[in-house]
Amino acid sequence: MKNTLSAAKPASGSLKKPAWFVAFGFLVVLILINWYLQPSFFDGMVLHSNLTTFLPLILVAIGQTFVIMGGDIDLSVGSIAALVNVVTVSVIAMAGGDSASVPIGLVAGLVVAVLCGAFNGLLISYLRLQPMVATFGTGIIFSALALWILPQAGLAVPDVYWMTYGGTILGVPTVLWILVAGFVFVLIMKRRPFESHLKAVGGNRAGAFQSGIDMSFTRLLSFALCGLFAGFAALCLTGETASGDPLLGQSLAMGSISAVVLGGTMLSGGVGGAVGSIFGALLLGMIGNVIFFAGLPFEYQTLVQGLIVLAALAGGVLVARK
Amino acid sequence: MSPAITVRDLTKRFDKVHALTDGRLTVERGEIHALLGANGCGKSTLSKIVAGAYAPTSGTVLIDGKEVSFRSPRDAEQMGIALFYQELSLIPKMSVEANIFLRREPRNGLGFIDRDRMRAETLKLLEMFKEAVGDDIRPDALVADLTPGQRQIVEILKVYAKEPRIVIMDEATAALDGRQVKVFFDILRKKREEGVSTIFISHRLDEVFEICDHATIMRNGAVVAETTIADTTPEHVVHMMVGDVKKAPKRQLRDEDDKAPLLKLDAVGSAQLDNVSLSVAPGEIVGLGGLQGQGQSTLLRSLFGALPITSGEVLLNNEPVSIRKPADAVHRKIAYVSGDRGPDAALPGRSIFENLAAAILVSERRKLVRAKELQPQLAGVASAFKTKYARMTDAIGTLSGGNQQKIFIARWLATNPQLILLDDPTKGIDLAAKADLFALIRGLADSGVAVLLYSSEESELLDNCDRIAVFNDGAIVTELSGAEMDSFHLTRAAYGEA
Amino acid sequence: MSETSSNMNSENARLRLAAILREPVVLALFAIIILLGIGEAVSPGFARGDQIIKLLTVAALLGFAAAGQNLVVLAGGEGIDLSVGAMISLGAVIAGNVMDGSNGGIIPAVIVASGVTFLIGMVNGLGVNLIRIPPLVMTLGMTSVIQGGLVVFSRGIPSGNAAPALMNFINQPVVFGIPGILFIWLVLIIGMVFMLRATAFGLSIYAVGANPQAARLVGLPVKAIRTIVFGLSGALAGLTGVFVIGYTGNSFISVGDQYMLPSIIAVVIGGTSLAGGSGGYIGTVAGAIALILLQSVLTTLHLEFWGRQLIFGGTLLLLLMFYGRQKSARI
Repeated sequence: MKNTLSAAKPASGSLKKPAWFVAFGFLVVLILINWYLQPSFFDGMVLHSNLTTFLPLILVAIGQTFVIMGGDIDLSVGSIAALVNVVTVSVIAMAGGDSASVPIGLVAGLVVAVLCGAFNGLLISYLRLQPMVATFGTGIIFSALALWILPQAGLAVPDVYWMTYGGTILGVPTVLWILVAGFVFVLIMKRRPFESHLKAVGGNRAGAFQSGIDMSFTRLLSFALCGLFAGFAALCLTGETASGDPLLGQSLAMGSISAVVLGGTMLSGGVGGAVGSIFGALLLGMIGNVIFFAGLPFEYQTLVQGLIVLAALAGGVLVARK
Repeated sequence: MSPAITVRDLTKRFDKVHALTDGRLTVERGEIHALLGANGCGKSTLSKIVAGAYAPTSGTVLIDGKEVSFRSPRDAEQMGIALFYQELSLIPKMSVEANIFLRREPRNGLGFIDRDRMRAETLKLLEMFKEAVGDDIRPDALVADLTPGQRQIVEILKVYAKEPRIVIMDEATAALDGRQVKVFFDILRKKREEGVSTIFISHRLDEVFEICDHATIMRNGAVVAETTIADTTPEHVVHMMVGDVKKAPKRQLRDEDDKAPLLKLDAVGSAQLDNVSLSVAPGEIVGLGGLQGQGQSTLLRSLFGALPITSGEVLLNNEPVSIRKPADAVHRKIAYVSGDRGPDAALPGRSIFENLAAAILVSERRKLVRAKELQPQLAGVASAFKTKYARMTDAIGTLSGGNQQKIFIARWLATNPQLILLDDPTKGIDLAAKADLFALIRGLADSGVAVLLYSSEESELLDNCDRIAVFNDGAIVTELSGAEMDSFHLTRAAYGEA
Repeated sequence: MSETSSNMNSENARLRLAAILREPVVLALFAIIILLGIGEAVSPGFARGDQIIKLLTVAALLGFAAAGQNLVVLAGGEGIDLSVGAMISLGAVIAGNVMDGSNGGIIPAVIVASGVTFLIGMVNGLGVNLIRIPPLVMTLGMTSVIQGGLVVFSRGIPSGNAAPALMNFINQPVVFGIPGILFIWLVLIIGMVFMLRATAFGLSIYAVGANPQAARLVGLPVKAIRTIVFGLSGALAGLTGVFVIGYTGNSFISVGDQYMLPSIIAVVIGGTSLAGGSGGYIGTVAGAIALILLQSVLTTLHLEFWGRQLIFGGTLLLLLMFYGRQKSARI
């Protein structure tokens, strides 16, 4: 028992730096620059609002990491988020639209999220469809369902939902609770055999199979987990927008993949971890912040952001190769 | 008492190919049982079915007299069967300990991996090989960072970590050096005393005769004989495995001083090569001997431009050359044939024609393929070499391993090379194909081609080379020729006692 | 004896037939015929000659975009070009501004648009092969850079106009009631097939895709080949952009986005393996036509948008189920 959550013995020599090392370094630099450009950066309010902005991508990136570690990819996370959002707001409205109906909506949303992920996993690990194209296809289907449930943006949630999300619990901002919970989850997974099996599946399919790992089920679980986290992200976005929007979260798929890669997880599978993805997602958010506060003309911001992200990806790959 | 394992009437079909038509096997408890046969005879298919990795097309498998039907390797594992995978089941980017305990990680009360216990048990397992590897393998080292021999040891430990009652060792000694093999055999004997049954598959007959009790011999997907090792001889076993074998033509002694060297190495060095000096004349077959992984393959790959050379000089026809990439070598009419044809030579999914044409397109700097002109030409080269195939447009995967290797050699013959680098070219090829191959190489040498041959089987070197340069730790320790070219001198030199 | 051999023959014939039916090109052709049938049944006149030519015109644009994508995917190494959409937008905006409505500007527009996109494609290729950024990530990153560049260049306002001659060439019949774009597509198809089957470069692409290490060990310049295919993909996307502005008349900075994922889908349902090394352009052509046809049939069904999308996604998965499947670990 003594070693459950205590630090692992440093895997000295062979494993060297953790995969998230580069992303973390970049992140510190960007925070310092942001602090310089925006002296109020460390004020509680500013941190709170930044975290609220970054949180959905962080959560999606955590889920995406598991899928990518298994050697797959999920392009449907944005559509899952949209579907979960409209399901949640619709269920809340149907259940009466009062604060008592909020938990029902949350549960309904998360159930849909896991079902979507499991559907992806079923197609990919049991029916053996190519992951990128298959999740592109299921993404279209999830989006279509979202449009069917709620053709237009609207349907406000009860005040208690967004007030709780935007407020504090026991004096600590709710968004911080969620971030910490995400972190703890990631650390737990790191110690569980599941993550090790997933990496084996992503690192050497034949070897994993010969070692007796139930590959199909392991991959299915990773997709379900990814769906669940897309669901969490959707609930956060719902807390932010306080209403339903069937077109929500369209940039989440590509953003989460960038975050995962920035965090040191290899797209080919088998190497990396969700801690890095958290840093990667924060990094993406901070790049946007810094550009905003650097006072660039508006029309240059997208270009510069694109260049910096590309440079960060290239830099990360170069450093990781050493 | 019923045997540990009984296999009856086992068959396996892959699409249209019958890999196994009559699989039979009986292995008693506490027995080391050899499964013998030329490549592609169905040994691996049979053992993978027993281990649950393949589903049989028909037939029965009995464990301890009870019929079983495995749906995955996991099912077989639960019955106490563990298979050593020839192609290794290790995950390169994971640590030694994580690999050994993959899916069977010791857990603590919270369901977390108990890393202390995993570490302790890994160290205990490593102790078994301590005599051969010392402390070189660390439990937390990445498998990707290990040498091939060390990886093979980890795979062996992974098998024994499951505490199996029936072990299938499929070419488990392939990458091990002499000392490692000795330790491994000690382990096998100890396990035999504990009642563990071992199915032992190896191309090295001397090993089989050293360690095994019984043998089952296969040919073309069917069992042809079952015998007790004590009652038979290697010659007889080979005869049962392949039928008639042609001998490579006897080596002719040639004048030592008739030709200037085609290739001359002057103190060539790199990370894994140490001051290698060597010369090869046209018409000469020079062997590279020594234990595995002493720099022989590295030298061949470096000469071909696939690995860097950092010091010294390479002279081709008396001119210093700089070969920085394989294309440079190809344009200087150098050919490189690797025994690892899967990763190094095969273009999977592509046609036999494309696989044959790959090198000549580069060597002739062609822009257009002109298949009509090229196909007959390449077909000529391939058939001179007794390559069996139906159509040039068939996928390469439809050929057996031996025929594939012939295609990959024919690929180079089409470029009319002046120097051929053979890097353990007969790995996993049956004896008939080997004989064809060496007859061809001798023919090429007689027509003036210079050949550098590395082989992991010393008999291949002794039978086919004019001289043998023996490697140890990246350097040539001695050169054997004439009367010295025998197994005794070669072994002595390989172990660095020359 | 003769009986068994004739049994064998019919068995072989059956297997061969089954193999042919499993050919992606054949499947895509089947899909095309079935879709035409459905379209005609729902809305008589759907399969009329002039309607089909209109569909083919749209398919040609996708076919051009997918040609480059096809090469990148064939060359392997997880090759994929997500910047195709942004490159098309870039090509269209460049072409619009170079032409600015004058016929004399068509040739310069083609040269500048495909030249610039070729260079950007080469940057993709170098990033992938020299720095070893995964293709998915490199081209995704390049997409935002191009989009950012377009925002700077045009300040978000549609700019530039197609030359009238270009618009006529693409939208109006040239000979036999067939618009010029289809002739150009035919030239591209012939050129792609010739390149992939009859040139050393084409065979090298397959070799590099099938096994890069083996390709290197016969002396093929693996990195150079994998770099050039990205350049070609860029150039073809830029050219597509020129045709797109010719088709629509003017351009906006996200005009190409709609081609990005369909270009991959056309390649995949046309039977090119995303793992590289197998497939070809004929399949991609069939895939592009099938894809456009499917969208068109769904439009004629008078369904709501979500219903169309639902069927589109479902059909895609169904097609993948037929032959986009990967090998099982257990044989």
